[in-house]
Amino acid sequence: MQKINRNVVLALLSLTSLVFLLFQLCYYKFYLSHKNGAAFSKGRGSQSGQDSTRWHVVRKFLGLISSHNIPVYLIDPLILGLVNKDIEQIKSSPDGPSPECKYFCAPRDFTTFALLDKTWKHDVGLFTAAEKMGFQWLKIINKDPRLDGMDDLSGMEIPLHYIFKLASHAIHLVVFYERSGNFLWHGPLRLKQHMDRKFVPFRKLHFGRYPGAYEKPELLLVSIDDLKVQIPKNPSSFLEEMSHSRFLECRYREARAFFQLYPDDVSLDAVEFRKKAKSLLHLAALTLNNLGVKFWLSSGTCLGWFRQCNVIPHSKDVDLGIFIRDYKADIIPAFQKAGLPLKHKFGKVEDSLELSFQGADDVKLDIFFFYEEDDHIWNGGTQAKSGKKFKYLFPKFTLCWTEFVELKVHVPCETLQYVEANYGPEWKVPVKTWDWKSSPFNVQDNGIWPIDEWDNVIQIY
Amino acid sequence: MEEWKPNPPVKPHKKRSWYLAWKYKLMNQRALRKLCQTGAVLFLLVTVIVNIKLILDTRRAAYEEEEESAQDYDDEMLNVEVPRHPVNNKKVLDVEVYSSRSKVYVAVDGTTVLEDEAREQGRGIHVIVLNQATGHVMAKRVFDTYSPHEDEAMVLFLNMVARGRILIFTIKDEGSFHLKETAKNVLKSLGSQVAPFLSWRDMWTFVGKKGGEVYGEKHAKSPALSTWGDPVLLKTEVHLTSVEDAECHWPDTELNRRRKRFCSKVEGYGSVCSCKDPTPIEFNPDPLKDNKVFDVPVAVIAGNRPNYLYRMLRSLLSAQGVNPQMITVFIDGYYEEPMDVVELFGLSGIQHTPISIKNARVSQHYKASLTATFNLFPDAKFAVVLEEDLDISVDFFSFLSQSIHLLEEDESLYCISAWNDQGYEHTAEDPSLLYRVETMPGLGWVLRKSLYKDELEPKWPTPEKLWDWDMWMRMPEQRKGRECIIPDISRSYHFGIVGLNMNGYFHEAYFKKHKFNTVPNVQLKNVESLRKDNYETEIHRLLGEAEVLDHSKNPCEDSFVPDTEGKVYVMFIRMEQEADFTTWTQLAKCLHIWDLDVRGNHKGLWRLFRKKNHFLVVGVPASPYSSKKPSSVTPIYMEPPAKEEGAVAVPAAAAAEQT
Repeated sequence: MQKINRNVVLALLSLTSLVFLLFQLCYYKFYLSHKNGAAFSKGRGSQSGQDSTRWHVVRKFLGLISSHNIPVYLIDPLILGLVNKDIEQIKSSPDGPSPECKYFCAPRDFTTFALLDKTWKHDVGLFTAAEKMGFQWLKIINKDPRLDGMDDLSGMEIPLHYIFKLASHAIHLVVFYERSGNFLWHGPLRLKQHMDRKFVPFRKLHFGRYPGAYEKPELLLVSIDDLKVQIPKNPSSFLEEMSHSRFLECRYREARAFFQLYPDDVSLDAVEFRKKAKSLLHLAALTLNNLGVKFWLSSGTCLGWFRQCNVIPHSKDVDLGIFIRDYKADIIPAFQKAGLPLKHKFGKVEDSLELSFQGADDVKLDIFFFYEEDDHIWNGGTQAKSGKKFKYLFPKFTLCWTEFVELKVHVPCETLQYVEANYGPEWKVPVKTWDWKSSPFNVQDNGIWPIDEWDNVIQIY
Repeated sequence: MEEWKPNPPVKPHKKRSWYLAWKYKLMNQRALRKLCQTGAVLFLLVTVIVNIKLILDTRRAAYEEEEESAQDYDDEMLNVEVPRHPVNNKKVLDVEVYSSRSKVYVAVDGTTVLEDEAREQGRGIHVIVLNQATGHVMAKRVFDTYSPHEDEAMVLFLNMVARGRILIFTIKDEGSFHLKETAKNVLKSLGSQVAPFLSWRDMWTFVGKKGGEVYGEKHAKSPALSTWGDPVLLKTEVHLTSVEDAECHWPDTELNRRRKRFCSKVEGYGSVCSCKDPTPIEFNPDPLKDNKVFDVPVAVIAGNRPNYLYRMLRSLLSAQGVNPQMITVFIDGYYEEPMDVVELFGLSGIQHTPISIKNARVSQHYKASLTATFNLFPDAKFAVVLEEDLDISVDFFSFLSQSIHLLEEDESLYCISAWNDQGYEHTAEDPSLLYRVETMPGLGWVLRKSLYKDELEPKWPTPEKLWDWDMWMRMPEQRKGRECIIPDISRSYHFGIVGLNMNGYFHEAYFKKHKFNTVPNVQLKNVESLRKDNYETEIHRLLGEAEVLDHSKNPCEDSFVPDTEGKVYVMFIRMEQEADFTTWTQLAKCLHIWDLDVRGNHKGLWRLFRKKNHFLVVGVPASPYSSKKPSSVTPIYMEPPAKEEGAVAVPAAAAAEQT
């Protein structure tokens, strides 16, 4: 009897726990889906009802926007992804009625649009009208970064993001601003203390975690799901751009503090050098961008950006970095064509490649090629007379956009680590005498080039 | 978990038969049974673990939802909420007003809202306007009624103040010498008993409501001419009214909301705050056809002269072809009232922490403003630079739209300016005529971005150099021989009479009689002839056509120029080398035009109008146009008068104001 009892009890328990487990799973699944909708999809209608809600909200929003003559364009990565698959078809039939709601009904919490700041008049009427249509809206404003670099100017805060919420769907409107350097910028989305943190699930927004930099897009008016909307002409390249659009603002406040300690050199020579360095950088950027070669500010130029938001006047050259995987044989002829003759070439594509071009008026352009290893990245140096090789080690980094001397350029996102690796913890102190073989913090001896290779790896013009 | 309610009555029963069958089948397979038991125990354990994990997960997720849903998006800056002033529910304000020879102060509810004990400053009647509902200071003025005409300004101001506002008066030093009957009557009508009898060096304080009750008045007579009245201190209470009573009931529109915000904060702007018939704050002037300057940013450089700024912005926003979105007002200092004016018109304003002092402060403010302008409008090739004490002509943008392509294409140009230094009522005639001049007039001008970014910005005078930015810009190192285009009749008017280098006398002498275009849509004449080489052809044509005046006559006399109209005359003056302006300066003086430094010249040639005739002055032999001089004519030489000591200092400093 006891045995039976034990068995019975065990089986019973197993059974109940099985039921319990299933129940828990169901509950968990329900909870997750509920959480996705968050405070947001209160009335859970049928799936198709949800879909059409999204479409209706987008339609209403587009109606609102067009009645106020505000030109927005679609930048929602989800929808653009879908659109991109059928782009040819969409382009060819701009007006055809669509049989099914393919794009705007796709499940998601937001639809993201972009607005160019200068194309609208900050018309308050828009918001009154939005409220009348039933939208709840949230405006996120912050400091104007275009004034940040300036001494002691305080402008009005500018709108960076708007969120319009209706029923279970929300429209995220990202405001883009033109920046010097001929690109578009959008700000980060940061909530101030008094703001409603649950207005929408902010974490799921596609834009706003970081500020971003974009090229000015060409737009195309298309009709999708019976809605007329502007989209970037080439959605796939827009999506590609979006994936690495993170923008770093220069650290203007620290730069000002730096200049407090070490007053800027405003001598005529310094002014002249800065002007030359700027035009050389512009020329180099133009040349490399035309080739499609990704580059970033390196060494002294990077330090100048990071420390003082300007060219270091006593640096005497412009330094760029390029990943060796992006190396193209066309680089040298392209620079020569742009009026920058090759001054020297050290190393080879497989090892320690480094190019130097002679810019106008004695300013040199150095391009260092970077080699990626599992846990670090390095570039090489070569001493011409001895054939000695050097190696400069950096921790791994990714690339971010920034604005420098009216140019949109890349810098390592992890700039502090990069600069510290290169210049050591004392990077904040200006050093005027610099020896590239011994001064860098991260330099290592790397042997000597075999004599028979010298002709190839040490070329001086 | 709590929701789980097993169904004991049904389940075990149902399972039992199934279990029994199974039990019999496996009765003797002990090993198997053991195995099953162990399996069941293991399964139970797993269930328990999974359950605990699920509970934890759910909890954590819920917690995150609560606490962190937007954590990444929190503003990293701690937004310190400024503790708001406790809402002033009190219906009574304590007001203290003090008047004496060397010091005045006004305190409202213990807060000093005016305190002036500076020496040799702030003489006259101080007026403070309080909002009758909130007690906020809406305007602060001082009228030096010891000097002439200041009482008229005071009357003007008092008339502009809305009914119901609380007015506080106090005298510092002396306030009666030029306080005329009209002004005294106005004060009397406000309820003052003493005002009609105010006399030399009396001390006086008064608090009253405009068009209403008097809260208090105190007066101390001066016993003798050489002494002042005893200091007086007036302490009184003012009863506040409700906010509704203090506001106008305009229809609720966006514009009126702006107006309301403005009118509840400041006073002294007249009909813009009138309840019955407020003056518009949106102007919608006609757009310009083919407007080439619609996208050109406009930087308005301002200090703390909000009334000027108000007048300036009104005229700017009324100019045809204006694009309010491109306008930015740069305020030098954290002054509230100028910002209120900017907001009233719905424009954007930027405040600038003052750097350095005097002229260098202005210079640094200019630099910051220009840099910011090109940052805010990175696409712009030009910027229009205006100041807060300018009226803008109705065809200002039309003038620029017709000429801006020259600045883009002609490298020999430095700027386009709306101001003709020599364009006075009696010396300017033709609204469609343009000149090229070697001096930079400023006062409403267009700056090329490349000039600023490549040349000026990098070497702009640093704060410790107390230079005038405009003087610096006129220096040959900067100007490099380039010229500016100006109209014959100015498209701006300089109305400021208080300023860094400005006073009433100076304004009257040099600015008041300046000609200002009021004709809309002027079609400029022969704009292409302003290009570098074309202009020389044009000048030679003019000189060829010009009639040489009788050089034996006195050029200062009116009869020097015949009583004709529309003719071209030329005269030749002595000018030994390029920088010899001796005769020109004397001529300018007697013609009552700008003579404080040399303006408006082009290669030793000046162009103006006399008696509606075009009047050319050529400096011989320095000017390349000297060859046009008939050999029989001797250039006129005018000797400067013997220098009077000290007479030079004032105008020299004042010259700086003409920017």
